[in-house]
Amino acid sequence: MTLSFPTMPTRSASIGHLRHHMLRWIVLAVLLAALILLVVQPLGWILYNGLHDDDTGLWTLGNHRQIFASAALMKPVLNSLLLASAVAVLSTLLGVPLAWLVARTDLPGRGFIRVLTLAAFVTPSFIGALGWILLAAPNSGWLNVGWRVVTGAQAPLMNIYTMAGTIFVCTIYTVPYTFTMVSSALDEMAVELEDAATTLGSGVMRTMITVTIPLVMPAVLVSFILSFIQGMTLFGVPAFLLTPSGTLVVTTKLAEFYQLFPPALFLSAAYCLPLVIVTGGLFYVRHKILGRRQFVTVGGKGRAGRLIRLKKWRLPALAFALIVPVTAVLLPYVAIVLVSLSKAWGLGPVPSNLTFHWYRWAITENPETQRAIVNSLLYAGVAASFCVLLGVIVAYIVERRLLRGAGLLAVLVTIPIIIPGIVLSVGFFSAYTRPPLNFYGTGTIVIAAFVATFLPIAYSQAGSILKGISPDLERAARSVGASEGRAFTAITVPLMRGGLVAGWLLVFIPIMRELSVAIFLVSPKTNVMTTLIYNYKDGGNYEAVCATSTLLLAATLMIVLLARFITEGVARRRRNAASLGEVP
Amino acid sequence: MTTLNRRHILLAGAAGIAASAARIVPASAADDALYAAAKKEGSLNLYWGSYEQKTIEEIRDAFKAKYPGIEVNLLRQASQTVYTRLRLEIQNDAVQCDSLGTTNLLHYIDLKKIGAIQSHKPTNIEKVPEAFRNLDPDNAFTVGAISLTTINQSSKVASPPKSWQALLDAPWAGKITTGSPAFSGDVASWVVAIRKKYGDDFLKAFAKQKPKVGQSNVDTVTDILSGERSVGSGAPFSYSLAQKVAGNPIDVTVPEDGAILNLGLAAVPTKAPHPNAGKLFTDFLYSVETSQILSKNFWPTLRTDVPWAEGRTLQSIKWYRNPVDNLAAEVTEGIAKWKEIVV
Repeated sequence: MTLSFPTMPTRSASIGHLRHHMLRWIVLAVLLAALILLVVQPLGWILYNGLHDDDTGLWTLGNHRQIFASAALMKPVLNSLLLASAVAVLSTLLGVPLAWLVARTDLPGRGFIRVLTLAAFVTPSFIGALGWILLAAPNSGWLNVGWRVVTGAQAPLMNIYTMAGTIFVCTIYTVPYTFTMVSSALDEMAVELEDAATTLGSGVMRTMITVTIPLVMPAVLVSFILSFIQGMTLFGVPAFLLTPSGTLVVTTKLAEFYQLFPPALFLSAAYCLPLVIVTGGLFYVRHKILGRRQFVTVGGKGRAGRLIRLKKWRLPALAFALIVPVTAVLLPYVAIVLVSLSKAWGLGPVPSNLTFHWYRWAITENPETQRAIVNSLLYAGVAASFCVLLGVIVAYIVERRLLRGAGLLAVLVTIPIIIPGIVLSVGFFSAYTRPPLNFYGTGTIVIAAFVATFLPIAYSQAGSILKGISPDLERAARSVGASEGRAFTAITVPLMRGGLVAGWLLVFIPIMRELSVAIFLVSPKTNVMTTLIYNYKDGGNYEAVCATSTLLLAATLMIVLLARFITEGVARRRRNAASLGEVP
Repeated sequence: MTTLNRRHILLAGAAGIAASAARIVPASAADDALYAAAKKEGSLNLYWGSYEQKTIEEIRDAFKAKYPGIEVNLLRQASQTVYTRLRLEIQNDAVQCDSLGTTNLLHYIDLKKIGAIQSHKPTNIEKVPEAFRNLDPDNAFTVGAISLTTINQSSKVASPPKSWQALLDAPWAGKITTGSPAFSGDVASWVVAIRKKYGDDFLKAFAKQKPKVGQSNVDTVTDILSGERSVGSGAPFSYSLAQKVAGNPIDVTVPEDGAILNLGLAAVPTKAPHPNAGKLFTDFLYSVETSQILSKNFWPTLRTDVPWAEGRTLQSIKWYRNPVDNLAAEVTEGIAKWKEIVV
C-alpha cells in the first residue's frame, strides 16, 4: 500500500507528484524485468524439467510420484532433514551467543575472534572437510594419533566419517552466517532499551534474554533458516564424510542421478520439490512469528559504545568464543598449510620435505590459478553488488508494503537458495544458452547465476535491517515534501549502511566459496577458484589443492578486512556525528 | 629402487626420442589438409575428463606447439561432468565441445545412439595396439586413454597382497581402501569384472574385510599416504606411480589374476563448432609426442612403438577388459549389488 497524500493544488507540486510516480514505475519495471530474467526463467526451466521424462522427453508427473513413493529416494531426504535441522540448531546455539559476546561485552580478543570467524566463513566447507579428514580420520587423524599416544587407548577419540562428524563440520562452517547476521543486527541496534532494563535493576543475563535477543529475533530466525538451507544444500562435506558409511543425503543422491545414462537431469529437478516444501514451511513459520511484532530499534539516534563487563566470566566466555575459530580455522589450516608446503605430503612435515614450490607454481607459473583468482574476485564483487542492490529494493517494497502482492515477490526471490547448486546450474544453463540470452561461455552467465542464487541472502539481510528502522523517519521526510525515492536514498539507505556492508559480505563470501552452481557454467576462460580446486582434488593433487585453498583464503580475507575497515570508518564518523547532536 | 626407476624412465624417454627422431617424416597430405581446415576454424574446445590436469595440459601444449594458429581451450572436469555438460549443450542446441574425452564407454554408446557424435577414422590409428584399434565399426569414437586398475599399497607393507583374491586374506581386514562404483567409472568396471570372475561371493568376503569406501579411486592414494589404510583395491595404476615418483611412500602391485583395463574414449560431436580441429586433436592423440607425454606421466601409451614408463608394455602386464555387450546393464546391476552387499 502507498501512503496517500492529499493532492496539492499547485502546478509544480503536481509535476513533482507525477515525476515521483514515474520514478517508482521505472524502478519497478526494471526490477521486475531483472527478476524475471534472473529468477523466474531459470526456476521455470527447473519446474519444466521436473515435469518431463528423462528417457522419452515427454510431459509426466512420474518423477514426482516416483520420489514420494520410493523408500530409496525418500531416505536421503530424511537424512538431509536430520543433518539440516542439527546444523541449524547448533549454529544458532553457537552463533548467537558468540555474536553477543563479540558485539556487546569486554571479551578479550574480540577483534581476533571476529577475523577468525570471518576466515571460517571464507573457507569453502569442502576444504574444511579435507582438513578435518587429515585431523580426525579414525586411524591416521593427527588428533586421534595424539590421543592414542597420550592415553594409550586403542579406540580413536573421534571418527569424522559419521553423521555426527558431518554435522560438526557443516556446523562450524555455517556458524559464521549466524554470527555475521546477528552481530550486524546488534551493531545497528540502539542500546536505550538495554540501558533501560539495566537501570531498572535487570542483570546482564536477564537483559540479554529478555531484551537483546528478542530484539534481534528477525536476524536470528533468518540465520536459522539459512543454516538449515546450508545443511540441505552442501555437497562437498557429505560427499567426503558420509560416502564411507554409505549414507546418502539429497545432494549426494543427486550426484548419483547425474551418473546415470543418460544423466537423470529431469528426475533431479523434481527431486528438489521436497526441499522447497520444507523450507517454504520454515519461512511460513518465520512469517507467523515475526508478522505483527515490532522490531524497531533504530530510531535515528546514535548508540553509545558501552560494553558489558564479563568479570569472572571472561575466561569461560573466551573458551566458548574460541570454539569456532579453533575448529574451523586454526586446526584445519595447520593441516592444510603443512600439506601445501610439502614436496610430497605422504612424507609428513619433516624439514627435508619443505618447499614453497606449490605457491610459486600457483602464483607465478600457472596461468589458470592467476585467471581463476581474478575471475573469482571479479565475479563475486560484481554479483554481490547487484545482489545487495536488488535485495534492498525488494526488501523495501516488501517491508513497507509498497505494492500489492509484495509477499509473492519475497517468495520468488527466496526460492533459488533452497535448490541444490547442481540443479540450479542446469536451470541457468537452459535459461541462458538460448537466443536472445546467449551468455554461455561468458562471465555474464556465471555472474547472473551467482546473483540469483544468493539474492535470498541479500534480501533477508536487507529485510531484517529494515524491520529495525522505524518508518516514522521516512514519513517525517515525506511530510516535509521529500519524494519516495528521496526519502529512501536520503534517510533509509544511510541508516542501513553499516548493515548493507555486512550484507554485501554475506553475499560476497558465499559466492567466493560456492562450488556447485558454477559447475556447468564455467568455461576455460571463466573458471573460478573453487571449480579449479575441486579439479585438483579430483586429480588427487593434494599439495596443489592445499596451496590454492590457502591462497583463496588469503585473497578473500583481504577483501573482507578491507570492507570491514571501510565500514568501521563510516560507523565511527556516524557515531561522532551523532554525539555532536547532528542527525546522521 | 629409485635409481633403477629413474634409469628406466630415462631409458624410456631416450627410446621415445630416438623413435621420434627416426620418425620425423613430413606430415601426410591428409594431415596437411586437416590442419589447414582446422586452422581456418581457428580454435578448439577440449572437454576432457581422461587424464589428470597436468598430463592433459602437457598434451594440449604439445598440440599448440605442433599446430600453431589454433587457439586451444581446455575444460578439464570429471568425466561425468563434461559428459553431462555436452548432453546439456545438445539439449539446448548450443554445442561448444569439439573433442570429448571421458573414461566411460557408455557415454559414447549413448551419444552415438542419438547421433550426437560423428565418424572419423584417424590416419595414424594403425599405431594403436590392435586390441583397441576398432572399438566402433563406424569410428564414431576411438581410444583416448588406457586406464589400469590395480592394487596399491603403502611402502611400509612388506609383502602386499599379490592378487584380488589375496585381498580377502585375514591380514588385510580393516586395512583396505577403495572407491565407490556409484561415483567412479573405474571402480564400476572393477566391480563388473570381479563379479564376472568370482561372483557375488567375492563381494561378500570383501565386505567382511571392512574396506573404507571413498568416492573416487584416487582417494585410495590419499588414504594410503595419510596412513588411514595401507592397501588400495581397484586403485589407479598410473596416478599411484606418479605419486611414487614424486617421493611419496606408495607403490603398486599388478594383481596376478589380472589388472582391470578400462578405456577412455575420444569423439567429435556432430554439431561441434570446430569439427576439423576436433578431428586433428583425435589424430594427435596417436602421435609420438602424445605417447611420450603419457609415458613420462606413467600412463600406458597409445602407440605400440613408444614403451611405457619403467619399460612396461601392454604385453608385460596381465590384464582383463570387460566385454562391451550388455555393459550398461552389468554396471547397473554391479552398483546395486555393491550397495546391497558392501555399503
